[in-house]
Amino acid sequence: MTEGFLDELVAICGPDAVLREPVQLLTYECDALPHLRETPAAVVLPTSATAVQGVVRACARARVPFVARGHGTGLSGGALPVPGGVVISLARMNRVLHVDLPNRQVTVEPGVTNLEITRQVAPHGYYYAPDPSSQQVCSIGGNVAENSGGAHCLKYGFTVHHVLEVEAVLPNGDLVRIGSPCADAPGPDLLALIVGSEGTMAVVTKVVVRILRKPEAVQTLLAAYDSLSEAGTAVSEIIGAGIVPAAVEMMDALALRAAEAAVHPNFPPADTVLIVELDGPRAEVEELFATVQEICRRTGATVVEVAATDEHRMRIWRGRKAAFAAMGRISPNYYVQDGVVPRTKLPEVLGRIRALAERTGLGIGNVFHAGDGNLHPLICYDESVPGQAQLAEEVAGEILTYCVEAGGSITGEHGVGADKRDYMPRMFSDTDLAAMQLLRDAVDPHRLCNPGKVLPTPRLCGEVPGPYRRHPVEHAGLGERF
Amino acid sequence: MASSENGRAALPADAIDGVLPRRVMEPDGPTEVAEVLTRATAEGWSTIVRGRGTKLGWGRAATTVDQVVSLARLVSPLVHRDGDLTATAGAGVRLADLNARLGEKGQWLPVESAFGDTSIGGLIATNESGPLRHRYGTPRDLLIGVTLALADGRVVKAGGTVVKNVAGYDLGRFISGSLGTLALVLDATFKLAPIPKSTTTVSWTFDSAGQLGAAVASLAASQLEPAAIDVRVEAGTSAPLHRTLLAGFGSSPGATTAQVQACCGLVPGGHVASGDEEFRIWREQVELPWRGGATVRFGWLPSALTDVVGLVESLARADVLCAFVGRAGVGAGLLRLDGTAAAQARAVERLRQSAVVRHVVVLEGSRELKASVDVWGAPVPWHQPLAALKRSLDPAGILGAGRGPL
Repeated sequence: MTEGFLDELVAICGPDAVLREPVQLLTYECDALPHLRETPAAVVLPTSATAVQGVVRACARARVPFVARGHGTGLSGGALPVPGGVVISLARMNRVLHVDLPNRQVTVEPGVTNLEITRQVAPHGYYYAPDPSSQQVCSIGGNVAENSGGAHCLKYGFTVHHVLEVEAVLPNGDLVRIGSPCADAPGPDLLALIVGSEGTMAVVTKVVVRILRKPEAVQTLLAAYDSLSEAGTAVSEIIGAGIVPAAVEMMDALALRAAEAAVHPNFPPADTVLIVELDGPRAEVEELFATVQEICRRTGATVVEVAATDEHRMRIWRGRKAAFAAMGRISPNYYVQDGVVPRTKLPEVLGRIRALAERTGLGIGNVFHAGDGNLHPLICYDESVPGQAQLAEEVAGEILTYCVEAGGSITGEHGVGADKRDYMPRMFSDTDLAAMQLLRDAVDPHRLCNPGKVLPTPRLCGEVPGPYRRHPVEHAGLGERF
Repeated sequence: MASSENGRAALPADAIDGVLPRRVMEPDGPTEVAEVLTRATAEGWSTIVRGRGTKLGWGRAATTVDQVVSLARLVSPLVHRDGDLTATAGAGVRLADLNARLGEKGQWLPVESAFGDTSIGGLIATNESGPLRHRYGTPRDLLIGVTLALADGRVVKAGGTVVKNVAGYDLGRFISGSLGTLALVLDATFKLAPIPKSTTTVSWTFDSAGQLGAAVASLAASQLEPAAIDVRVEAGTSAPLHRTLLAGFGSSPGATTAQVQACCGLVPGGHVASGDEEFRIWREQVELPWRGGATVRFGWLPSALTDVVGLVESLARADVLCAFVGRAGVGAGLLRLDGTAAAQARAVERLRQSAVVRHVVVLEGSRELKASVDVWGAPVPWHQPLAALKRSLDPAGILGAGRGPL
């Protein structure tokens, strides 16, 4: 990168918005997958779409790769910098621009956090539905890139179902609006290609999201089981009864132990805990909730704990949502995996994962969205034990093989990023991947927009395996993992 | 054009906007579809894909069509994974047949088509939807995986058979609504929903657009969760004006009753219908825009409903008969225009000049109407990247025969 190019970035963004000192760049070396690290040549912190456009145009002219970054909470290295490239941090574009309650739409800049949207509209009885566990800190721009889900996406869908329009800078520097606040824009759904493209097709500078009316009633229960298969049967029966819960979550014994140590949710002792939440009109929730309770008891629940108050409900969810971070309390290191299986294959795949844990001697905690078959095995290891980090990575890869063999996916919500691009051929043929590359090249012919993500590249010799390592921010005690 | 065992000469019934294709290809499997496309790209033959042919009128008037590729014979797979609430169907499977199969286990693909023969491929190509869109979205919202045949004959998959999956680009959702201009759908996998055990519909009629708009606003602001909120306006220069609001509820019997009671309390004067009467009300609502004349689609911001109804009524006071049905919660509607092509064209222009509605597209219309207005209107602001994507996927430009939208 030339001095002239850097001067151009300063001219576009201002002197306080271009970082290039090594100590300043440190924060941007990785996202929440800290074993993948690269140092960018510069980081820019633009405050307007025009500045983002200026930066992208400059990069396009000079053929410098660029990576958009929200708040860096991604779990697949989607915001991993490119050596010699520019990181475009959208953290300073964090204004809520317009709240339109009659049309149930909110317009925000990409650096606004997911939860901030709900905070803005909650006093009026509305909320933004996608709720990734990191929702307090993750950015809406990152959610758009990753097509984020959350515990409630079984009923309410993903980010793609809740974004109506974006303003985005394309890799050639064009600033365009894609999608519409009005329904039925004609033709193919380009917005759906941008959402979930993991920052490889555009840098989003504005987002119009749909908000929902808060449901009249919410009821949550926690059921304790002596075995995973009983809990699995309960889920099947709930779905079989024609009930679509707002959320169905499961945690196994190891995950429960970790959650208890970290946030003391006071869960009953169990091999497996099932959390079921229903929401909707009061009469419907009451009627169906009684059915769910009956199913839980019939399928062998030892305890069925109904959240009697909002506080109780929050405590149950705190125990669930803290589960990842909590693994740190019981294991020196852990690796978070994200895979999907058809819901009916859950018992079979979880059985294979348990056998794998026994065979390798590594503890594997399971926290998962049981309603949609999205697994989050947490693989415990100790990096001070020679070979364990490597083993943990192999175990994580093995689990993805189980998911694909069961007809599932290598990622349900964390994305492919840099982390899983080499697993893509397990799900897709060379022809499938070539078609995806074709689309990407149509939008980004010079391959400058977040290169090295999503689609596979040949694995390099001596590539460092990927166990969990503490982020510099965690090291410094400034933040905790979600 | 070379003969093929899956090809035949076109019959009058194969005509599109009065243009007879040179040939009709009826491949009976994905490999055969791929072969047809490989040849077409090599030869530069303009190609129009056909499912069951119910919406072939959509798009600009065709000029020359080298071949129609019918996917009606792709009736497999037809797989229902009821425990997973998903199903996979070949492009030629009829929506009605798929839903009959899913219904055996109390599930459905909750989208309506105005046309009894609509195929799965056609559903995705047009992204057609009905009143249930209020609760369930349009077909693209329910699509979780596809197998596509690209213009050069490559067969590719995207997505999968699980409801939650972010691996790779979502080609299926992207090509939804592209009317066969980007790729051909060979099969599709959808997430399903349980069929509600009980349904009831409340209907009202109103003396003014303002009253109708106010009733919709109060329903939308409430915590009621209808499956559909639809409006209907039938108006004409001489005919009496009818303004109707419909709210459909579906849940367990007890919960449906409770919601209907709450709804009637919120907006008094409603008529409560269930069973056959309710079925007929919604069938009428779905089919009304397609009974002759021209059919125009557009969207609006939901809060502008009163103005939209006012606009439709002002068109009717001019020189056309109008039948308007709209998804009031979403802000999407279809308008049937009965009258001369010139009067229809004037109405379309007035809609396009209005600040109240957007994305005004003529779906069905006579050749005469299509000759006087561009059915698609002004290009979308994101047309350039779309055009680049089209060039990549269909470098010879064979798909769609220039009928748009790409």
